[in-house]
Amino acid sequence: MDAQPFARHLKILEFALSSMLRRRVKNAGLIVVFSAVVFLLSSIVFLTGAFRTEALATLQASPQLLVQRTMAGRHALIPLDYSEVIAQLPGVGTVTPRYWGYYYDIYTGANYTLLGITDDGLEAPGSAPLRLVEGAFIAPGQRNVCLIGAGVARMRGARVGSIVSLRNTRGWMSEYEVVGLFKSASQLLTNDLILLPEADLKALFAMPDDQATDLMIEVYNPLEVDNISRKILERLPDTRPISHAEILRTYETLFNWRGGLLLAMFLGAVAAFMILAWDKATGLSADERREIGILKAIGWETSDILELKFWEGAVLALVAFLAGVTAGYAHVFYLGAGLLAPILQGWSTLFPAIDLAPRIEPYGLAVLLLFTVAPYIVATIVPAWKAAITDPDRVMRSA
Amino acid sequence: MSEMVSLRDVSRVYNQGRPNEVRPVEAVSLDIGVGEIAVLKGPSGSGKTTLLALIGCMVRPTSGRILISGRDVAKLPERFLTGVRRDTFGFVFQHLHLIPGISVLENVMLPLYPLGISFSAAKRRAVVLIEQLDLAHRRRFTVETLSGGERQRVAIARALINAPQAILADEPTAHLDGDLSGELMRIFADLRGQGKTVVIATHDPLVYDNPLIDRVMTMRDGRILGGDDE
Repeated sequence: MDAQPFARHLKILEFALSSMLRRRVKNAGLIVVFSAVVFLLSSIVFLTGAFRTEALATLQASPQLLVQRTMAGRHALIPLDYSEVIAQLPGVGTVTPRYWGYYYDIYTGANYTLLGITDDGLEAPGSAPLRLVEGAFIAPGQRNVCLIGAGVARMRGARVGSIVSLRNTRGWMSEYEVVGLFKSASQLLTNDLILLPEADLKALFAMPDDQATDLMIEVYNPLEVDNISRKILERLPDTRPISHAEILRTYETLFNWRGGLLLAMFLGAVAAFMILAWDKATGLSADERREIGILKAIGWETSDILELKFWEGAVLALVAFLAGVTAGYAHVFYLGAGLLAPILQGWSTLFPAIDLAPRIEPYGLAVLLLFTVAPYIVATIVPAWKAAITDPDRVMRSA
Repeated sequence: MSEMVSLRDVSRVYNQGRPNEVRPVEAVSLDIGVGEIAVLKGPSGSGKTTLLALIGCMVRPTSGRILISGRDVAKLPERFLTGVRRDTFGFVFQHLHLIPGISVLENVMLPLYPLGISFSAAKRRAVVLIEQLDLAHRRRFTVETLSGGERQRVAIARALINAPQAILADEPTAHLDGDLSGELMRIFADLRGQGKTVVIATHDPLVYDNPLIDRVMTMRDGRILGGDDE
C-alpha cells in the first residue's frame, strides 16, 4: 500500500469536519455560547489593555516629579515661593508651576480639564503627544483663544473658529475662540482638555498671582527621585511629591483591579460555559458513542479516534475563539465598548467618550486561548478516549 | 485445511459476581478453517453475536484462548488487537452500522482513512468494490437514501476494503428479501473462492440451509451444541 504520512492526518481532519457538519445544529449552538464567553472576556482584555496603553502614553508627557500642596488631605493651590525652596535642593533642575483645574459644564453635564499654557510652553508645539489635527497653536501673547480635545469638540459641537464660552468664578461668561483641535496618540490625555493661555486660565478661575495648581520638578538623575521627594517632604511638610513611577503604579493597579473586577463579574458566565463544555464532552451522545464503536470495529486505533476528536474540538474551539475575539475587538475599538466601558471607567471624570487606539494584547489573548480552547479540547477528548478504550462491541451495543 | 480461527474454552461473562451477571458465551471451543463458510445458528439470545464479536477481537474473552492463524490474541494489548482486527477481519454488522450523512463512497473508504493511503488509491479500491457489488450508480448518495439491500452491499464493500482474510457477518439477511439473500450468499461464495473465510451468525434458514454453506454450528444458551450439523 502506498502509505503517505500526511494523507492519514488529512483524511482524519476531513472526516472530523464532515462529522461536525453532520451535527451542525449542536455545533453551531456550542460555537455561539463559546463565542459569547470569549467575546466578553476578550472585550475585558482589550479594554483594560487599551486603557493601560492610553495611561502610559499620558505618562510619557508627565514630569518626573510633581509636587502638590495638601490641606486637610485635599489638593490645594501651592505658593510659588515653595518653588524656590525646592530649586535649592541638590539634583533639582528647573521647577515649573502648572496652572490647571476642572470645569463642570452644566449644559452638557461633562467635566473638562483646563490647562494654562505659558508662552514658553508654546515653543515646542510638536512635542509628543500633543499634536494638532486641525488649526494652529496659541501664538505668544495671544489671549481669549483655546485649543480643545476631540471629546470637548464633540460635546460642544465646536470646530476651529468656533467660540467656546466658559462661566468664570464671578458667574460671567468668558469667550474663547477655538484656534486648534488636538490629535494625540493618547486621547486619554487630550480628549477632555481645553488649553488656554495661562493668564486667561488664572482669570477664569480667579487664581491668586502668587499660587499655582502644582509644581513640575526636573530631576537630573532619575534614581534620585525618591531621595528628592523625601527632602521636599522634610522641608515642606504640607506638600505631596508624586513621582512618575507612583503614577504608573496607580494606573496599573487601577486597571488591573477594574479588569479583575470585570472578570470576576463574568466568572459566572465562564463557569456556565465550562459546565456546558464538560457536560457536552462527558456526555457523548448515543450517535457519537456508536460512531466511535464502529470506527474501532473497522480498524481505527484509539489514537486515530483521539486525533479525530482533537480536530473536532480544536476546530470548534478555534472558530469560536476567533469569532469571539474579533467581535470583542470590534466592540471595544469600533463600537466604543458600550457594554463594558461604563464599568471599567467607573467614576472617571472622562465624561466625553474617548476613542481607544486599536491594539492587540498578545499576552492577554494567549492566556484567554489557554483558558478557553485548551480546556474545551481536553473535555472533548477525555470521554472519547474512554469510549475508544472500551471494547467496540460493548460501545456499539450501549449506544 | 489450516485453521483460520480456533477457540479453546472461551467464555465471556458480563457483570461478573453481580446479581445481573450474564454469560452469553460459555466454554466454547471450535475451529474454522481457511476458505470455509461457517454458520453459527441459533435463536435470539443464544450468544451468536457475542461469539462473533469474540472471534473478531471486538470483545475480549473472560477466560479461554482465541487463536487467529495460530496466534493467541486473547491477551494482546488494545493497540495490537486493533491491528489484528483491521488486518484480519471485515465486519458486516446486524444493524449495518453505516455512518449516516456521508456518501456510499466515503463509508466504504472509511477503514482506509487511518492507514495513510493516498486518496486516489483509496478511491480506486473503493470504486472497484462498489462496482463489483453493483452500487456504482449510488456511490455519491448518502447511505440513508438507499434501500435495505443496497445498504447491505455498502456494508459488505466496507468490510472488504481492507482485503481481510475473513468476513464476519451478523444476521446479514435480516434486511433482505429472498432474492437478495440468495445474491448475498453468492457474494459469500465468491469470497470463499478467493480464499477468504466467512463466518455468519444467523437464524435464517435461507442461510443455514443454503448448499453453499460448508458447516453449521448450533448455539443455545451460550454453548455450541453437540457436533457440527453437517
